[in-house]
Order: sequence, then structure tokens, then C-alpha cells
Amino acid sequence: MSPEGFRNEPILELRRAPARESLLEALRELDSQLPLEVPVLIGGERGAVEGIESTDPGAPERLVARAGEAGEEDVSAALDLAERGFREWSTRSAAERAEALRGAAARLRERRLELAALQVRECAKPWPEADADVCEAIDFLEYYALEAVELERGRELVQVPGERNTMRYAPRGVTAVIAPWNFPLAIACGMTAAALAVGNAALLKPAEQSPGNALALVEALHESGVPREALALLPGYGDTGAALVRDRRVHVIAFTGSAAVGLEILRLAAETPDDQGHVKRVVSEMGGKNCVIVDADADLDEAVPEILYSAFGFAGQKCSAAARVLVHEAIADRLAHRLTGAIEVLEVGQADDFASEVPPVIDREAQERVLRYRDVAGDAIAASARDVPEEGWFVAPSLAVGLPEGSEVNREEIFGPLLSLTSVIDVDEAMDVIASLPFALTGGLFSRSPATVERVAARSPVGNLYINRGITGAMVGRQPFGGNRRSGVGSKAGGPDYLLQFVEPRVVTENTMRHGISVEGTGTGNP
Amino acid sequence: MRRVPKGYVSHVENELYEVGRSIHAAFPGKSRHPLKALDQKAMDMAAQDAELRAALFRFVDVTPACRNLDDLASHLTAYLGEVDERPPPLEAAMRMSATKPGRAALGAAAATGVRRMAHRFIVGETPSAAVRAIGRLWDHGAAVSLDLLGEATVTQAEADRYAERCMDALETLAAAAPDWPERPVLEADSLGPLPRVNLSVKVSALSPLLRPEAPDVGREDAARRMHPLLVRANELGAHLHIDMESVDTLEATIELVFDVLDEPDFADGPSTGVVLQAYLRESPEQLERVIEWATHTRRRPPIVVRLVKGAYWDHEIVEARQHGWTPPVFEEKAESDRNFEALTRRLLEAWPHVRPAIASHNLRSVAHAVAANRDAGREDRDLELQVLRGLGDELAAALADHGMRVRIYCPVGDMVAGMAYLVRRLLENTANESFLGDQQRGVPVDELLAAP
Repeated sequence: MSPEGFRNEPILELRRAPARESLLEALRELDSQLPLEVPVLIGGERGAVEGIESTDPGAPERLVARAGEAGEEDVSAALDLAERGFREWSTRSAAERAEALRGAAARLRERRLELAALQVRECAKPWPEADADVCEAIDFLEYYALEAVELERGRELVQVPGERNTMRYAPRGVTAVIAPWNFPLAIACGMTAAALAVGNAALLKPAEQSPGNALALVEALHESGVPREALALLPGYGDTGAALVRDRRVHVIAFTGSAAVGLEILRLAAETPDDQGHVKRVVSEMGGKNCVIVDADADLDEAVPEILYSAFGFAGQKCSAAARVLVHEAIADRLAHRLTGAIEVLEVGQADDFASEVPPVIDREAQERVLRYRDVAGDAIAASARDVPEEGWFVAPSLAVGLPEGSEVNREEIFGPLLSLTSVIDVDEAMDVIASLPFALTGGLFSRSPATVERVAARSPVGNLYINRGITGAMVGRQPFGGNRRSGVGSKAGGPDYLLQFVEPRVVTENTMRHGISVEGTGTGNP
Repeated sequence: MRRVPKGYVSHVENELYEVGRSIHAAFPGKSRHPLKALDQKAMDMAAQDAELRAALFRFVDVTPACRNLDDLASHLTAYLGEVDERPPPLEAAMRMSATKPGRAALGAAAATGVRRMAHRFIVGETPSAAVRAIGRLWDHGAAVSLDLLGEATVTQAEADRYAERCMDALETLAAAAPDWPERPVLEADSLGPLPRVNLSVKVSALSPLLRPEAPDVGREDAARRMHPLLVRANELGAHLHIDMESVDTLEATIELVFDVLDEPDFADGPSTGVVLQAYLRESPEQLERVIEWATHTRRRPPIVVRLVKGAYWDHEIVEARQHGWTPPVFEEKAESDRNFEALTRRLLEAWPHVRPAIASHNLRSVAHAVAANRDAGREDRDLELQVLRGLGDELAAALADHGMRVRIYCPVGDMVAGMAYLVRRLLENTANESFLGDQQRGVPVDELLAAP
């Protein structure tokens, strides 16, 4: 069931020169305003703008934003206000809230070019992906606005004479949103919009690498009618997030990020002190070790570019990115050969250059992590891109071939441009490998056999399986996104079930008999 | 739809009907060749049923990747299994696949079928293998433009390989061409001589770096490989035609053409050409740009502009719909057809700065070009007509009979793998028009000639 009237925000047609020029113009304009100031924002009051600095990963000396760091007192003050904000916001109708969300979407749409440029600078997200990220944020606002109105209608229940059963959904309360930097606007927006759409208050703790993006979102929502008390911006590091997670005033925690942090949140949130009148709900989207199966009958002309983009687009820093290729032995050499040649010509460069295919990774820590895994891969590295810039957190995209199954490179999430290729005797062996991995986020299959497609679809544990195409780029409403097993709790962002994570169901059963007379008539007993 | 007003038939329109009827009458009788008749039957069957056609194309597409006959048979039956109503011969095929020997036999038959189909569309596995067939076409009054089929270019080595194959094709054809008999219609127009050797090249095959949002990188890389081809073509007196592909590579291709043509090295040749796709909404502006350039350049000989409908319609529509863009192509076939005629007239106007080459299997479009050219007071030899091998053979024969200059676009490549590329690149998109073969299904000629 998809909400009627929803349409994905069209991405820019970047194959046209004027569209590209408009973005470069927006970037020049943005550069003249840097660094941005991102305050702690509680009840609309601007607090500190000190403690965090976000820089350009491609030119770390370039300061993009100076942000405040929300401490425990800030968190506490924000929660006090949020409880008040919740009381007001939750009494509004879904239609009114939807109006505010749509207004925010319109605000983001007006600022599209500028916001894409901001992602280029703050996260080194390449243009096409930065633009798509802004569009996805708009999509989340529009989609959840429609879904929330739909959800307010409740669900149909079985009715018998003499009673009336209704099922409705009520907001849970204050929601802590702990967002990642890799989709600095879209994911922060998706989680915040979902919480707000159904009537919750939201406290947004953006990643310390991307506070500038989060500010744009909060501004758009405030300007469009979301009460200042019902939405606060709490930039900070892990401590800020932990303070939110622990507080008994928090009802829902929406998190997207690493498995380590996600599991820690689940553990902390499960502690339910006596003075906490509810059980916390955690929506946790974590990592992946995403595999692409390439069967012997695959079309390599399609598979090579799609695998390449899935693995190295945005330097592999998407939870959906391809980490492994499991290829049928009959074509393994051929695929490895073509991938090698294709990786060697990948353009590694600054995100603001349309020619760049692989930007730097987000920070020094990420660079060191990926390089550590590269060292583990050692002689198995069969290909690396040439001409990697010196300055900035660049890592040459690489292909490792034939690593043993137990290698950390094959089992752990690297979150960077390192792809591992393994030859398998058939698709079933590939499925066994996938079954042995703890993650189950995305997966891919290249095959031209309908039977193989069906077999893999039936056995694959992943949340999002893509056939004969790349495995990243889920679209709101079209590919509800989220992982299973240790990749997530099974919620599907941008899908019809997502809002259910943010509400509690309430059923009311009314006796409609009055002294032996049914209010609505007895009917025939079968309404 | 735009109709010619009652009681008024333009001069061109009169001439068009006359030319069209005459060409139509000259179509060779139906298939003297029994094998061809069989092929035609399979294609007619496929033409009438979109599901069956999809199954057939998917099968041809996967053929090169199948490891053995059993694998071939499994894929074939899997695709046929998705067709709702199967004609009796295909039901029999499905039954055969139940046993291993049955699958081997079915696989063998299917492989033979694909090869035979390939022979209809592919002129040879390599340029040297194709030389004889090309010579025969020349004998029969048709010139050729060679097109090298191959896998997509994703590495520098693959781009180098394609460039080498292009070079080899130029050399091979140039070595063979002097032995061909004189064919004045094919060798000169009133502006001067026309090369016997003609090669079409794809920019996307000349570089792995071509990307829609960064056309410059791929363009420069492709130009690096295009340059020696132009130099050699110039030395050999050959024509090099730069094909047009999807809108994703449009900007790179157009800019590349203008860049290389403006190089002083090529001020006196070789003869070159570009393609204009009439299904593109922006094609009139593109043509103006070409004409503007051609009018002011001192470069000789004049550039050839091949006018086509465009072969990436499905791709363009799907891509635009998925991204929420306005499709860059006309969505109604009649709009493309009308634009084709308008562009034809504009091209003829621009002569002698450009040499028009009208590439279509649509009898109306072809007859219109001939009539409009005559109406402009030009000789028939100042107009080139082009068709695709395998789809426009009979039209080519009829046009040659009429003393028109016709050039057949001839793919060269591996019979199995090449056929797969061809299905992907060309046939899928021309299927609806061409497989139906209106003229062969006995549609009255005046209906074929009606204004779009």
C-alpha cells in the first residue's frame, strides 16, 4: 500500500551542463559563507557554538562548520522542554503535522543546490550523491506526511453486533534521533520526520562530522510550523548521544550507525529503572557486509559498472555498499580481470569535481581503518586506483582477490573503498557464505536465469536484495530500506511499516448495547 | 495529427507518393531463400507477441554466457515458461526440455537458430571475414558502413582493443576496396568523390571514462584514440562516421566531434560524419548547431549528417521516468516521424555545407527525402539513403534498383556474442517498427505513405 500522490523528488539531470553549473555556482556562494555556525538549539534558543569543528575531508584545513557541543545539562533542558513540546504537538491532527512536514520539504527544495553543496564540503559527498541525498530528505518528509495521515485512520478490526472495536495509533513520546554523517541530511531527516509525523517530539543529535547539515533540517522544520519545544538540535559527540539514550524521559531512540554503537544503545535502552514509566523502543539501523553474487550467466557488461559503483561510490561509505563479490568460478578470472582494469581507471579526487568518482573518506580515523584492512589483505590486493591525491583523507579504491573465508576483510564491515572478490563453485555456495555472515542488509545477484533469481530471492536473508543492478540507492516508497539479523531491527525506512516504530497501538472496545438495544442495530450479525 | 488540407496536395507530397509507390513495387519478391523464409517466420511470430519477442531477445542476449547445450536449453525454456500463450512448436520445445538428451537437442537447435539469425544481421566475424560479403553488396549497388560489435568498454585495455579493431577495419577495407568495380552512384555526388571505405565508430567504446556528469574526461580520452584513426582514415581516403548513442553520452560525443573537426590536422579530411537522432526533442537545435559550424568551417569535404530516428528510445524513456525527468525523446512515434521530415528538409536546405544521409526503413520517410531533394532541384546522387543490414536489405535492393545511393550499416563481430550486443543495442528498439514489416504484411502502399 503506497500513499497516493507520492512522487520521488526528481534528481538533477547532471548530464546537462547548465545543471552542473548551477551546483558549482551554489558551491561558490556557500564557500563565501564558511564556516557555518551551528548552535545547540533548545526551544529555539541558540546556545553554544563551541566544541565541535567539522572540516572538509578533502581539505582538512578548510573549516566547514563550528558547532556547539550539547552537554548533560543541555540534554536535560532539551528533554524538559520536549515533554512540553510533545504535549502540544501530539494533540495536533495528522493533517496539521503533515502540513508542517510538507512545508519543511518545500524549504529544503528551495535550498536544494546550497544543501547539496554543503554535503560536498562537509562530508566530501560527490555531487550526484549529494543531490540525491537532499532529494531523499524531501522524499522522507513528503512520504511520512502522507503515511501519518493514513495511519491516523487506524486499522480495520473484526466487528460483531453489540460492540465497536477500534484500533488507533498514538505517539510514544520524546524521540532521540542519533544520526550518521554519511547521509547527513537524508537519514537525519528520515528519522526525525517519522518521529514528528506521528506526533512525537524529537531531539536530534547529528554526527559530529556533519552538524551543518543537521541545522538546515531543524531550521526548515521550525520555519514550517514544528514547535520549537518539540524539536531540538543537540550537536555533540558520543557522550551527548549516551546521555540521551540513558535518560528515562526518552521513549524512542532512532539510531543509524555502526553495529558497535547500535548494540550498545540497545543494551542501555533495555535498562528500565523503576521510575521510568515505559519501555524504550529502539530503532537501530546498523552495518552490513553486503555481497553481490555473480552467476556464470551474468552479463558482465552490466555487472562490472554496477559492482564498481556499489563498492566505490562515495568511497564505499554507505551501509548498503558492496563489500564482497561472490562469483561463479567459470567467470571469476574474467570478472576479476575486468574489475581490475576498471578500478585502475577510477578517478579518485575531490568531491566538488564532477570528474571524481571516488572522494576521500570522512576523517583520519576512517582512513587509518581502511588502510589497516588493506594491510590485512596484503598480497591479495589485485588492483588499486592510481593517482590518489596526497592531501585529504583519501584511500585508493582496491580489489582483493581470493582471501580466505575467515579473513577479517571478508567478515567485518570496513566502510570504505575495499572490495573483496571470492570465487565460488555455484550460487548455492555463495548463499552458504552469505548465511554464515552476521549481517543481512543489502545483497545483489547478477543472473539471467529466472530460476536462479527465484532461488536466491527465496533464500537470501538480506533486507534489500537487488537483481541485475547496483545494490545502493534505495528510493523512498520504492525500496523501503533496512537490514535484518545483526544489521538492524527490521524496520524499513521509507516504507509503509516504518511509522509503526514510533507509535503505540491502542484498541478501544465499546459495548454498544443499551438495555438490550444495539445502538447501531443488530443487522445480520455479519457486518 | 497534422493532415494535409483537403483539396490541396503539395508538390512534394505528389512526388513522394510517386516515388514511394515505385520503390514499393521494386521490393524483391518474398524470400527466394528458404532459410530466410524460416527466419522470417520465427520473427513474424515474435513480432506479433510482445512476450514471445521478449523471451526470444532475452535468450539471444544470454546465449554467449551459456556454458553448454544443457545450459542453453534451460535458459530457453525458462524464458518461454514466462510466455502465456505458446505456439505449438514452442510447446514441443518445452516438452523436449524434460530429459537430458532432449535438452541437448533443444540446445543445439537453439544455438543453430541464433547463429542463423546472426548471419542475417552480422556481415562477418571480423573485417577480413566480412570483405567478401561487402564486395558483393557493392557489386549489387550498395555501399557499406562497417560497425564493430563488442562488449562494453570498462577498461583502458578494452578501449585500446576497440581502437585497434577500428584501425584493422580501415586497413582491411582499404586493401580490398580498389578491387571493387566502378559504381559511379556510390562514388561521387555533385560535390565530389565519396570514399569507398566507410567505418562507423562509437565514442563509448573508445574510452572507459565516459560519464554523463563529467563528459570532458571521457571525451578527451576518446579523442586521444580517435585522433590516429582520423589520421589513418585521411591517409587511406576513408570515411569515419561518429555514431550517436544515448543522451548520457550526447554532450561528450557532440563536443568531441567539434573538437576534432576543428583540428588543423584535419582541415582537408578525412571525410567524416555525425548522427542526428530525430526522436530527440532537442534535435532541431542540434542540427542548427551543426549547420552553423558547417557553414563557417573551411574544412573540406563537407560533413555528412546521418539522420536516424534513434535506437535508444526505451532506455531514454525508462531512465527519465525513473528519475522524474521529462523524457528527452518524443513519446509519440508520429511526433518523431514528423520531426524526421522537418529535419530532412532542413538538412537539404543546408546542402552543400552538409551532405545529407537519410537512414530509415520507413517507406514514407525515405520517399519524402527523395521527393524533397528533387523538389529542391537537386540530383538524386546528392542524397544518401541508409539502412540496417538484416532489417533493410529489401529496401536497399529496391533503392539501388532506382539508381539511388544506398549505404548499408553492417555490424561485424562474433556471431554469438555479437548477436547479443545487437539485440541489446539495436533490435529491441527497432523491433516494433521493423519486425512487423508492415509492407510484407500486405498493408496497402498508400497507407504506408500517409503523412504521420
